Amino acid sequence: MAYHSFLLEPISCHAWNKDRTQIALCPNNHEVHIYRKDGAKWSKIHELKEHNGQVTGIDWAPESNRLVTCGTDRNAYVWTLKGNVWKPTLVILRINRAARCVKWSPKENKFAVGSGSRLISICYFEQENDWWVCKHIKKPIRSTVLSLDWHPNNVLLAAGSCDFKCRIFSAYIKEVEERPSPTPWGSKMPFGELMFESSSSCGWVHSICFSASGSRVAWVSHDSTLCLADAGRKMDVATLCTETLPLLAVTFITENSLVAAGHDCCPMLFTYEESQGTLTFGGKLDVPKQSSQRGLTARERFQNLDKKASSDTANATLDTLHKNSISQISVLVGGKDKCSQFCTTGMDGGMSIWDVKSLESALKDLKIK
Amino acid sequence: RTGEALRAFHTAIRSSPGSTRSQAMKEQAQGMMLKVLTSFKSSEIEQAVNSLDRNGVDLLMKYIYKGFEKPTENSSAILLQWHEKALAVGGLGSIVRVLTARKTV
Repeated sequence: MAYHSFLLEPISCHAWNKDRTQIALCPNNHEVHIYRKDGAKWSKIHELKEHNGQVTGIDWAPESNRLVTCGTDRNAYVWTLKGNVWKPTLVILRINRAARCVKWSPKENKFAVGSGSRLISICYFEQENDWWVCKHIKKPIRSTVLSLDWHPNNVLLAAGSCDFKCRIFSAYIKEVEERPSPTPWGSKMPFGELMFESSSSCGWVHSICFSASGSRVAWVSHDSTLCLADAGRKMDVATLCTETLPLLAVTFITENSLVAAGHDCCPMLFTYEESQGTLTFGGKLDVPKQSSQRGLTARERFQNLDKKASSDTANATLDTLHKNSISQISVLVGGKDKCSQFCTTGMDGGMSIWDVKSLESALKDLKIK
Repeated sequence: RTGEALRAFHTAIRSSPGSTRSQAMKEQAQGMMLKVLTSFKSSEIEQAVNSLDRNGVDLLMKYIYKGFEKPTENSSAILLQWHEKALAVGGLGSIVRVLTARKTV
């Protein structure tokens, strides 16, 4: 596990470039900073200053090397690298509340922005006018859209919202693509069509993720549950009530295994059993090195009694790598079906890279299917 | 006697009114549950908690917090013991679900 502390403040959001040598992140302000890996160190190479409000979402398109950012200033910018400078292009989202999340589609010809205006803006480039236009998906969203993820067919979009529901919409734009072929989620996909809606859980849906094949979608919500809808099982929803604090981010690492992390500051493994349609907890992935339980010296005992009014040996500090909630997980190597490395960033301003093989050998009970 | 308390416990859990709007029904169920919970000996609590499934533990946690809201004489002491055992099984998640639940008990 490689941990790097970028800041003392939370990292609001991050995105990696295609070869994982550069990371763009928002240091809890109106800017986006891009860091490049220099051996074992990270050096800041760009500062993108255009937003007038906190940057809430960043996504880096791997093939076209464009960045899209969105913020609480109700704007989104598409950034293109010209020489050694990132040049922004404003995208009018036509929203009157903060934008909260943004994602490029797999073919990078459009992107989706979720906002507090209770709608999703699907933006695409109009060649004739040389500018980005957007279409809105409104019904039946009743509250802020917190998270988005695209299906591999470039048309379906999953959205997690503060109205406690996960939904899958069609974001088909006839100007930029062919009609999509039928999927397990349905065959008719006109723009804005609701393909799937979960029954209410009891918490805001913080993060949502399609599996690599697109036939499964998983989400985590604020009532400490993890849910998975399987189109292969007639859109049956499997729910797991976790014993942890609410999770804030989730991703598939194989078709049957998920990694999620949140307010417990530690990534955890979950496994989906297809034959039974159940989700189970697979274990914590951040097992601290066992510091030997050394007894307290008499002096330490009295110090504890004086300072904390207890002679308890329990640590008051966190044992996990991240010292505050983990807010985002991204897959680095291997894709969502054979992930071998993933990255977490959190409110402690730190970024950690996790290697799946090392985890498998270090934690013997771990079974990644 | 132990068997009776355990049976009463399971009956109270099973017959909890899921989605009723009647405040009277809810209060009756709360009163019943509180009676059952306070009738347990400290040593029997762990066994009772372990006999529940995940949904049962979440439901029990809801009743425990409801019981904290309206304390009677000596109820809080026994409820704290129930809380400790339920927490060991349900984790912090079960408490989060008490706070976020839309259908209260």
